[in-house]
Amino acid sequence: MQMGAVAVLTGEVRAEGVGKTIDETTLLLPTDVSADPGECIVLRGPNGSGKTTLLRIIGGLLVPSTGTATIGGREADERDRTVRAAVAALLGAPTTYRDLTLVDHLVLIDSTWGGDPATSDDRSLALLDRLGIAHLDDRFPHELSSGQEQLFRLALTFSRPASVVLLDEPEQRLDTGKRQVVAELIRERTESGGTVVMACHDPELTATLATRVVDIVPAR
Amino acid sequence: MSKRKQPARAKPAPEPTTAQPRTPQPMPAEPAPAERPQSTAPDRTAYDPTTPDPTTPDPMTDEPTTPAEVDYDDHDLLGQADWVIGGEAARKARQQGLYAGYVLFLGALVYGLPIVQAVFRTSDASSLGDQLSSPEAIALLVASVAALLGAVVFAGRFRGPVVPPMPWIDLVLPVPLDRALALRRWWRYAAVGGLFIGALSGLTIGAGLAFAHLAGPVTIIVTTAVGTALGVLATRLWLWSQVRSWPGPDRGLSLLWRVPDALRELHAESLRAHSANTSTMAGSALTGNLRTARLALTRPIRHGRSARLRPGRPFGVLVRRDVLGLRRTPGAFLSGLGLTALGGAIVTWAFTQPAAPSIAATIGLLPLYLGFGAWAEGLRLQADNVGTPSLLGTSELTEAGAHVTVPTALTVLVLGGWVGVAAAIGSLPASAPLSLWLVLVLVVAGNVLAAFRGSPTFMLRPQMVIAWYAVPAFTVVLLGSLVAVLTKAGSYTWLSVVSWLVYAVLAWAVSKVRRLTYLHRA
Repeated sequence: MQMGAVAVLTGEVRAEGVGKTIDETTLLLPTDVSADPGECIVLRGPNGSGKTTLLRIIGGLLVPSTGTATIGGREADERDRTVRAAVAALLGAPTTYRDLTLVDHLVLIDSTWGGDPATSDDRSLALLDRLGIAHLDDRFPHELSSGQEQLFRLALTFSRPASVVLLDEPEQRLDTGKRQVVAELIRERTESGGTVVMACHDPELTATLATRVVDIVPAR
Repeated sequence: MSKRKQPARAKPAPEPTTAQPRTPQPMPAEPAPAERPQSTAPDRTAYDPTTPDPTTPDPMTDEPTTPAEVDYDDHDLLGQADWVIGGEAARKARQQGLYAGYVLFLGALVYGLPIVQAVFRTSDASSLGDQLSSPEAIALLVASVAALLGAVVFAGRFRGPVVPPMPWIDLVLPVPLDRALALRRWWRYAAVGGLFIGALSGLTIGAGLAFAHLAGPVTIIVTTAVGTALGVLATRLWLWSQVRSWPGPDRGLSLLWRVPDALRELHAESLRAHSANTSTMAGSALTGNLRTARLALTRPIRHGRSARLRPGRPFGVLVRRDVLGLRRTPGAFLSGLGLTALGGAIVTWAFTQPAAPSIAATIGLLPLYLGFGAWAEGLRLQADNVGTPSLLGTSELTEAGAHVTVPTALTVLVLGGWVGVAAAIGSLPASAPLSLWLVLVLVVAGNVLAAFRGSPTFMLRPQMVIAWYAVPAFTVVLLGSLVAVLTKAGSYTWLSVVSWLVYAVLAWAVSKVRRLTYLHRA
């Protein structure tokens, strides 16, 4: 009853000349981005330059007005279950179940991706522990501070398997120590062959992680 | 500018002032801030700026004078506030309440009486009379009234009967006038409304029973009196629940008959919260965004945290998620149980008892549909998640299928229980289980449609939004009623046609799940 047999896409991300215009408003000028497995690409640019729009296009959540975006050679379209299986994304606030605790969320995600039930609890608690919120495992999402909530969102994103991880400013609301933890998680993901594309405003995090930096030019 | 005559003022209105520290100074009395309480000279009011500050020491004796009581003309102050805030328009708006009552009365006459007559119209009046006066029917009636009163108490936690507009709360309530008087208007609206609706409901039901020759004309008087009393009780319980929504010293049941004291117990912050809830509900209703209202009004979950979601296969873990959710929200479970039990009883009665009027199924379908919905939070949460990056490794249909499993199983249990009761009594036509199966499919499909209805894409007019909301429930009630009528008439050819329609609704619901899941990609 899972998603069925789906092809495993490699983490090759290609966005060629992708841009987005809605009515008269240009959200993103035509931009090229490419990332290969093991790379971490950092998108940089002022507020409103279109970083989130670009990430949404790469994740297949938004249709580009110009250009094409592919994941592992396949058109980036979230309706395609193969693409969905390949891409984990933290783009805005994911909607959480108000009646599940933090650890319940991770167990649920782990189970739906076919994780071994015998060790699901351990994996979930270990991830929460990595992010320093293991002591909050029995809390409900509405009981978290904004920083804890960001860590929880990162845990949700990293708890599922993916060959491509898209992150929109993962450093938001995190202190220096926690940013290092997040950097470590991202580095582990790239070292294991995953591809990470992220928008980031933190120069230190960018310097630490970026294989390449893509500067997004604002439309105006 | 309003043309309404400005209410008489004993003295000029105060000038805006800034609060001054009250440090006693051995100086001649300076003009005191106008809003401070003043001593009551015979020809002075609290608003007389020339009145000396009672806390200022007398320059001759160097001793502060004793603070004295202040006379406020509460009615005058309220009149001024009304005029300043609303002017003529507010007065006219209040008068429209009378018009709404008039329309309601006409509506009851035109639609209420025929509907109630249809409810009790039957080929076997004596059997129906016996069944309605049976202990089971009386118990069901008492349970329904209790559930209704419970719903009123529940609603009062979020939106009580006394909800003045925000400017009134912020600008008028801080004035030191009697809060019971300042809030009395909104209470009166609710009290008159409750009394009117209760009396009208009692009158309509009594008249319907009398017209259907199930009771004598005296019943009309009795049901009207009972309806009126219930209307009054419901409104007072509503106010009592509003008082209890905020901590306070006096929250006992005696407030039910001490209305002025109950009004005085209403805290400004509580009134603000209720007013904000009203705005949220109205805004959500008009924009078709029910999620905002649901999240704003549901009580945060805080218990059952020690229970853990047991990992396993995807479908099973999603089903267990819903079970865990119901364990952590016992209110949702119990309200679902109450509504489903009530609706299931009426619908089963309609399908198994020859004396039951066909319209009984129509009446029972709505609580059955709502009860299922109370158990289907997982389905709504799935619909809330559309448009966000995928977190779960299941397809949208698998997830939806898992989320309807628990409410469907619970509904089957309840309906099965009532069918068992009917069989024990000895009245279970062969067609009843088939018809109940169709009703179950309809209820499931209707709730899936409701959860995945998305947002209205048309011009937002209240009538259109109401129609848009009502589509799933209306579909369930309409087709379910058709099933009941055809079952009772024994028109099995037509029943098979309607059964295809029922499955078409299910297919429509499935397509809505797919469509909404991918609609966001634009």
